[in-house]
Amino acid sequence: MTANSVVGTSVPRHDLPGKLTGEAKYASDIQLPGMLHGKIVRSPHAHARIASIDVSAIEGLDGVHAVLTPFDAPEGRLAPDVAILDTAVRYVGDEVAAVAADDEDLAEYAASLIRVEYEVLPFVVNVRDAIAEGAPQIHEGGNLVGGEPLALTRGDVDEGFADADRIFSMSFSTPAHSPAPLEPRAAVAMWEDGKLTMWKTTRGVHADRISLASALGVRREDVRVVGATLGAGFGGKDESRLSVIAAELARRAGRPVKIEATREEEFVAGRKRHSTETAVKVGVKDDGTVIAIHQTTLMDTGAYLASGPGVVRRAGQAALYLYRCANVRYDGHLVYTNQPSAASYRALGAPQGHFALEVLMNHIADELGIDPLEFRLRNHVGIEGQAGERVTPASEIIDTQPVEGGIPFSSNGLHECLERGAEAFGWSESRASDGQAEGHLRTGSGMSMLIYRGGPGGRSSARVRLNEDGSVQVIAGLMDVGEGSTTVIAQIAAEAVGVPYDRVRVTFGDTADTPEAPITAGSTATFSTGTAAKQAGEELKSKILGIVATHLDDDVSRLDVVGGAVVSEDGNVRLQLSDVGGLVGEQAIEAEASVMPGSRDYIVNSFGAHFAEVEVDTETGNVRVLRYVAAHDSGRILNPQLATNQVEGGVSQMLGFTFSEEMLTDPQSGVTLNASFLEHKSPTIQEYPPIEVIFTDEPDPIGPFGAKALGEPPSVGPAPAVVNAIYDAVGVRITDLPVTPDKVLNALSQRDAE
Amino acid sequence: MNGFEFISTRSVEDAGELLANGKSTQIIAGGTDLLGEIKQGTTRPERLVSLQGVDDLRGVKIYDEGAIIGSMTTLGEVADSDVIRRQYSALSEACDSVATPQIRNVGTLGGNLCQRPRCWYYRSPHFDCRKKGGDDCFALEGASKFHAVFDTDVCPSVHPSDTAVALIALDARVLLISTDGARMLPVEDFYISPSADVTRENVLEPGEILAEIVIPTVSPNSRSVFVKAKERQAMDFALASVAMSLDVDGDVISDSRVVLGGVSPLPFRARGAEQALTSRSVEDIEPGLVGRLAVEGARPLADNGYKVRLTSGLVSRALRMLQDDNIRSGA
Repeated sequence: MTANSVVGTSVPRHDLPGKLTGEAKYASDIQLPGMLHGKIVRSPHAHARIASIDVSAIEGLDGVHAVLTPFDAPEGRLAPDVAILDTAVRYVGDEVAAVAADDEDLAEYAASLIRVEYEVLPFVVNVRDAIAEGAPQIHEGGNLVGGEPLALTRGDVDEGFADADRIFSMSFSTPAHSPAPLEPRAAVAMWEDGKLTMWKTTRGVHADRISLASALGVRREDVRVVGATLGAGFGGKDESRLSVIAAELARRAGRPVKIEATREEEFVAGRKRHSTETAVKVGVKDDGTVIAIHQTTLMDTGAYLASGPGVVRRAGQAALYLYRCANVRYDGHLVYTNQPSAASYRALGAPQGHFALEVLMNHIADELGIDPLEFRLRNHVGIEGQAGERVTPASEIIDTQPVEGGIPFSSNGLHECLERGAEAFGWSESRASDGQAEGHLRTGSGMSMLIYRGGPGGRSSARVRLNEDGSVQVIAGLMDVGEGSTTVIAQIAAEAVGVPYDRVRVTFGDTADTPEAPITAGSTATFSTGTAAKQAGEELKSKILGIVATHLDDDVSRLDVVGGAVVSEDGNVRLQLSDVGGLVGEQAIEAEASVMPGSRDYIVNSFGAHFAEVEVDTETGNVRVLRYVAAHDSGRILNPQLATNQVEGGVSQMLGFTFSEEMLTDPQSGVTLNASFLEHKSPTIQEYPPIEVIFTDEPDPIGPFGAKALGEPPSVGPAPAVVNAIYDAVGVRITDLPVTPDKVLNALSQRDAE
Repeated sequence: MNGFEFISTRSVEDAGELLANGKSTQIIAGGTDLLGEIKQGTTRPERLVSLQGVDDLRGVKIYDEGAIIGSMTTLGEVADSDVIRRQYSALSEACDSVATPQIRNVGTLGGNLCQRPRCWYYRSPHFDCRKKGGDDCFALEGASKFHAVFDTDVCPSVHPSDTAVALIALDARVLLISTDGARMLPVEDFYISPSADVTRENVLEPGEILAEIVIPTVSPNSRSVFVKAKERQAMDFALASVAMSLDVDGDVISDSRVVLGGVSPLPFRARGAEQALTSRSVEDIEPGLVGRLAVEGARPLADNGYKVRLTSGLVSRALRMLQDDNIRSGA
């Protein structure tokens, strides 16, 4: 650590003033001269072929400037299974056609005049029907994505189960739920000289640029994507047709076009978490040693694939790696249905997989008469990783979702998370007491643990430049999705160069000015772009010191940059950074780094343990979380305030998944029934418990300044911790989320009948 | 969203004339329900007549005979009234349980009584259900978690008003005014069953305005309570609710009302439970029994069997609360 110590302090996020004063510009705030408004015609059928579209009613209508239908749309695709517009529609709400008009009301009216003739097709809205023989085919190639399930194994599960003293199994389901961002998605498209500029809600401007250019049939160099201030993403905000439709309407109209999703459109045609059905089987020895785990998951990707393969993969990671176990198998089936499309949502499949495994493990501990904490302390994966022999060639970077054994972790604070979390929660006291055990209010305690990718993502770049005034410009293609990643990366750069945080300026989220960057996803931003920013910052510092040493005839090894000035060994200021530029004239002083983050020797993973105390009302079926402790190993914490926010936010958000959020569709028609904040019941501040956040705060040897992934891990723990606490309180195990009052009451009725 | 003409009136008479005057016209009170319906296209009025400026319809007035509440009084104002809280606790609690403070500051008592059902098939433009003049009910074979367990044959949507449940328990009446005159009827009779007319939930005739809610005075020994079960505590319609009022003479219940919300197309009087309560000693009666009697005859749909246990529990809870109250007050 240098004398700067910018890293590790809670500097205020750089976008805070704009957000607090209202000056921050969200995509829907952008107004351009001559700008039109677009509206999308959506399918009323779950599955149909569009026979014809009649737009004669709006041709020549005053104020209507462009129309787009699948019969005249460009042939490019947004993804292999997503055309700009398609003559096949695959869910109720799928895009059919679009118009651009002078204002939003006129566009809506014009859209209502477009006549569409559909050939209605049979449809399926659940995964079991979709993979049954003779099911309607939603895409060519069948409804089971890839034609066969993803199968991952280590050791031999059959042997493992044969050796087991006892075998336990259970089935679970989890719902589709919406990230429900406060800001619905929006895009503003403008063409000049055949070049497109697009302001949009996004988590990856460079990825958007690539997909827009390819879909619209223009060169990447002719597309500029600007990420407006984002009103939350949680993984959503891309992977839909909204922005490409705006671009094509604008190209046709010869005027800028804005499209902003309505709240209902955001719920239905935005993207949501994949619903799952999971069966888990675990074999143990009598002493509680876990010797075989087999998980099978059916996952509903809805009408389109999006990030589905990555999501189904991640649903298996807890089974594959959280417990020390020689024999594991994961079968993940990703299935198309005529449901609205699922896509990325915070932590992808990890919450679904952890829910199943961690509830079953609690059951096993109970059956064996072992305290659930003790059971996990004995069985969790340690720093040495899983037993076995490394398969990955020594020259390759280790997968952060490994299957194979024989590779150690770079750091593993799981044991400490369990112990410190339990201590803060008062686990042993809480379990020793029966709590409230009389009357209709019953209390209980539960816990879960988690493992998650540690932050290495794709190739990441950052440029760091010394400005004329001595400030440092950090330039990266990364998009801040509201979590504060750009603030943390600015901290990293400040630390690396040796300037105070307030001397750092940032340029992010605009393809015009920034080197290529991956999307802000998978909890990789701090680790990956941070690694690039650190390296670029260190190079810039070397350059500065080299210049100063040359010009002042000093020994470079006796100089350093501290507090925004070049100082000599004795601490005396040799030169202010604002005077360095003058030494080299017009020449820019900058450094750029492009890195493949990760390790060739270690698995980089983050860990956590969650503890919940609940109160169950046996008359109403309501469950209240009384208090919550979340202990995390995310390496060294670079900004404690932002990190705490991430944990509190992740836990709170997933209490919604646990208790009340669910996108419901009518089984007879596929229509979404609850596309509103009123009925997709996200919790409010009134439902949130006090959340105590604990960080192990031990530096990881690989991550930039010791950091590891943090954004998503907190959202993995809540559902199993709460469901295990409910069992402790009232003796029923709710295996189907969300835990709504009807399910609690039905389970209690069943228990009473037995 | 469909366009409409908006007219603000200052008197009930003007409003009545505007209503009687051709065009498809609807009254708008707080608008918290109606605007949602217009946005969804569930209703498409050409003209809205706002009663916001009609001062006569606003406020809580207390007389020897009882209370008169103007229909345009906001739910927040009713909940905040000391007299209402003291004498008619069930109503005060019901008002307080509605939605959020923001909505209670705008939504009115009259509007709350005239809400349309929340049934998601009725609210969705994708379904032409019976309530909208179609031939089918989609809930009977569809997703029915929030639907009725009583009187489900024609339309199993539940009436969403919390305050109606409380007002029936308090034996309140409503005053309806039109250019032809006025009529007063019990809140209970204000609502009609889907078997009588599935396209509406109350007896308001075109041109009629709900002007006042009149609650008779209560004896010092009477008590009432309202309890409501929700999925989300901060803002939700009732999964089920119960308003219970007891008139107590010495230790004996001389009169009782048990009214259920969220379980039937209109507020539901649990007469079996009322009979079990009346003429019994407050202390002796077993809450569990009254709860079981309250849900006798319930016939749940595919997804809402839980409402039977839930409602039964809420009735028991309401009675326990009144029993505790009785003991505390030393009656």
